[in-house]
Amino acid sequence: MDDYKSEIRKISMAEFFPAIVHMKTDKWRLVQICATTVEGGYEMSYSFCKGYDMVTLRLEPKEDEEVASITQIYPCAYIQENEAAELFGVKIGRIKPDYQNRLYRIDQTAPFRDKE
Amino acid sequence: MAKRSIIPFGPQHPVLPEPVHLDLVLEDETVVGVIPSIGYVHRGLEKLVDKRDYKQYTYVAERICGICSCGHGLGYCLAVEQIMNIEVPDRARYLRTIWVEMSRVHSHLLWLGLLADAMGFESLHMESWRLREKILDMFDETTGGRIIHSVNQVGGVQKDMDSTMLNDILHAIDDIEKQMKPIVKTFLHDYTVQSRLKGVGVLSKDDALAQGAVGPMLRASGVEYDARLLGYGAYKDLTVEPIISKDGDSYGRCEVRLKELFQSFDLIREAIGKIPQGDISVPVKGNPDGEYFVRIEQPRGEAIYYVKGSGKKYLDRFRLRTPTTSNIPPMVEMLKGCQLADVPLLILTIDPCVSCTER
Amino acid sequence: MEKTKYFTFAGRILKNLFKKPATTQYPFEPADYPARMRGHVEIKIEDCITCGLCARACPSLAIQVDRKAGTWTISRFDCVQCGSCVIACPKNCLIMEKGYTEPDILKKSETFTKPQEEKKEAGENGAGAAAGGKPVMDAEKCVYCTLCAKKCPQEAIQVERKEKIWKLDEEKCVECGICAGVCPKKAIEMKG
Repeated sequence: MDDYKSEIRKISMAEFFPAIVHMKTDKWRLVQICATTVEGGYEMSYSFCKGYDMVTLRLEPKEDEEVASITQIYPCAYIQENEAAELFGVKIGRIKPDYQNRLYRIDQTAPFRDKE
Repeated sequence: MAKRSIIPFGPQHPVLPEPVHLDLVLEDETVVGVIPSIGYVHRGLEKLVDKRDYKQYTYVAERICGICSCGHGLGYCLAVEQIMNIEVPDRARYLRTIWVEMSRVHSHLLWLGLLADAMGFESLHMESWRLREKILDMFDETTGGRIIHSVNQVGGVQKDMDSTMLNDILHAIDDIEKQMKPIVKTFLHDYTVQSRLKGVGVLSKDDALAQGAVGPMLRASGVEYDARLLGYGAYKDLTVEPIISKDGDSYGRCEVRLKELFQSFDLIREAIGKIPQGDISVPVKGNPDGEYFVRIEQPRGEAIYYVKGSGKKYLDRFRLRTPTTSNIPPMVEMLKGCQLADVPLLILTIDPCVSCTER
Repeated sequence: MEKTKYFTFAGRILKNLFKKPATTQYPFEPADYPARMRGHVEIKIEDCITCGLCARACPSLAIQVDRKAGTWTISRFDCVQCGSCVIACPKNCLIMEKGYTEPDILKKSETFTKPQEEKKEAGENGAGAAAGGKPVMDAEKCVYCTLCAKKCPQEAIQVERKEKIWKLDEEKCVECGICAGVCPKKAIEMKG
């Protein structure tokens, strides 16, 4: 398991979009997006693979901070971004297409956000 | 321009046992747009880590989906073991690999049966599923459950296989391999099958990469990527060669899965030949503190398990990115421009597992 | 391009016509279960010490243990046959048996009660029930590592490292013997 790279890189909001564009031009493919609730905000992990290497970009937005959608660069991200927005309540701006909390069609808003 | 109409497809559809839910935008008979939506069987199992401790959660992870059960248990355990720096005994690594490969055989046979059924080829469907029954019987004998095995645990496996069981597995796969040959001939050369699969739903290599396809979908489009080569379990000691097909159509995907079946037979034989003696689990002390991403190759494609713990009995976060989550965008791409009559078959060729996806 | 063939399945179909069915004639012929089958949980209630470890290990919360009444209850329709309780049981009195739970129109649960006489005996002896096998600590060997307190399923042991106190709440103790097992210095003995 240790033969292949799997690192987590922290990035700031300002670096975020250029970093994603850089990943795209460098031909990394998007493999997963994960939201986690942390104290006073969220952790968004964007994982990319190239060959057998994996890099995860870690963004830490505050609770009311808006994260830009990466669907303009990686169109296939829409399902996982909608999922994060709906289940965790992460504010993600301009997802294409935006399901407006209708992906899972559940009654509760952001059921995964608060720890029980 | 022809008139547009929207036809709902699913959640209940006679062709698919899975509650896949799509809205198809049609122009006459041609699909021009697809809006996928999920949530029909959403159970919120990721959230259950708040209430079940990390050892109990192995059982929950196994029950996310029936067909991928063994792999889900393995992926979750691997992630926790990586965080806690647990070295799993060699015999346990081999046993896990044998079980995971057997579940690949049973998943692919299930898929072949479903494909034949979607084409209306009833007898081929029955033939495939009859062979699958032998694998399920072997699971029943070795683990105690036909579908949900509950053999993985953090630190190893719960049950050992003695030499009679290993021999029985060898006999079973020899038998299946022998009986597979005429079925393979039918799938690859039969007139009916070819006319339904050839040139339908073509996904180019670039599209597959850009849309994030995984597993047999990606390999059928000519990309050599198989997460088993990462070397988890016993795969680092075994010979794994990614099986690819160039065309990227439904026929290519069928061919990849058929060849993977035979690859799995060889892997099981190799693993049984090389299996070392020794312990099957190590005691686990303490609680996981840290985070880790694990990638494993499920029968349906690469799955990603993310576990985050903070030194407590209850984990902070468990995330599973299933193969089908990744395969939906390429499927949507593939469906655009096809005929309405081909839609069920095309959806089937991605081997959708909606229960996994909705967790 | 592969060749296209016709009638690739014809031989197979002919063979199937004259063969015995691959399935068993189920209700008339009994189903054959392998030895390891996880069908349902059985309990040897006389060995049970009502420690409650199984109830805690159960991921589907199907087991309830009442210490006072000495009962062990399983909701058969909540049980997912994972075998977690069997592994957790310190007395090995739980076993997975062959055969599934019979279908029913109601969600049923099954209750097992510990044999009466034993319970009475424990009640009579009351607090002085060293006879039941309570842990006794050897002050010479103990290093006050608190491991026994951490592992105790009932939180019956209190250990203060600074003041060198080792206290057992005999009401809570279920005599499971886990503390004696984990003690690194072998300072705990189950006296009975």
